[in-house]
Amino acid sequence: MVTKASVQQRYWEDVREGDELPGYDLFLSETKVAEQVSGSQDFYAVHHDRDFARAGGHKDIFFNTGFTRAALSRLLTDFAGVDGWVRRLSYEMRKMNRPGDTLRLRGNVTRVYRDSGGAGLVDIDLWVDNDHEGIATPATATVELPARGS
Amino acid sequence: MAKVEGGYDIEAVRKEWVGKESAASTGRYPVEYDPIRRHCHMVEDTNPLFLDPQFASETRHGAVIAPPVMVDYFAGNGAWPRVQEAPRMMQMVPTRGDRLINLNQTMEFYKPIKVGDRISSRMRIADVYEKGIRLDPRAVWIVMETLMTNQNDELVAMIRNTLLTHRTPEEVAAEMGA
Repeated sequence: MVTKASVQQRYWEDVREGDELPGYDLFLSETKVAEQVSGSQDFYAVHHDRDFARAGGHKDIFFNTGFTRAALSRLLTDFAGVDGWVRRLSYEMRKMNRPGDTLRLRGNVTRVYRDSGGAGLVDIDLWVDNDHEGIATPATATVELPARGS
Repeated sequence: MAKVEGGYDIEAVRKEWVGKESAASTGRYPVEYDPIRRHCHMVEDTNPLFLDPQFASETRHGAVIAPPVMVDYFAGNGAWPRVQEAPRMMQMVPTRGDRLINLNQTMEFYKPIKVGDRISSRMRIADVYEKGIRLDPRAVWIVMETLMTNQNDELVAMIRNTLLTHRTPEEVAAEMGA
């Protein structure tokens, strides 16, 4: 059983500009297409029906915004840990992620600072990339991390 | 957006629409465990804050919370059964063209949303302006803000969408030739 004591927390004092976030990969299988629809409840056919997508001029179906946003969010909430908080996420849907792609979720710390109230903040550049498109979704975020002893 | 045929006055559109706010609407269901589980499943997220009630009860939140980006999911009606929704404000803003691209989204999160919370939303037109792009030298941009509150009327999140509306190349060429 997972307990709060068994989960390691990242602290603001331990983060430096230039640090890489622990990234992860997601393979977009045919089953993942179904999971995308289930998880996002986005039933627009361009995201699951190849004939529909190709009739609209697309190479193939492509994964929806809700899925991509959820993948970015996971990178941030994993980084924030149990006692951190994602304050902001901003992203641009520039290119497609399609079945057969492996998504790479990655990020770097760009700034470590305190806000006017003293909270420890971390600014992050993060992105989704795949072999066919390169960076498909660039993003920025701000995460609040707890201070040691807080 | 609502495409305008003939004359288009950006200043008149700005005067009428910038700052206009919609009535609030509340999501059909409260924040629930199973949509959170399905959301986590699609991106293979095993975070116990989202999935384990016992674990979450030991944290400062005291209960399972939803991944923050789910806030607009719980402010909506869901895909089924279908409901006839009123046209969104964004669809009523006059524009030159009817081609739409949702260029980017910014989400700010102020408070966690927990299982059992009821999420409401209201929209506000934050800005409307003209800025040319390669396809359309008089493209119209709309900035929409959606404010999300919980059952205690506490602001939990804000979502800002920047929408680009433009005309077809044929429509642009017709104006140039006029």
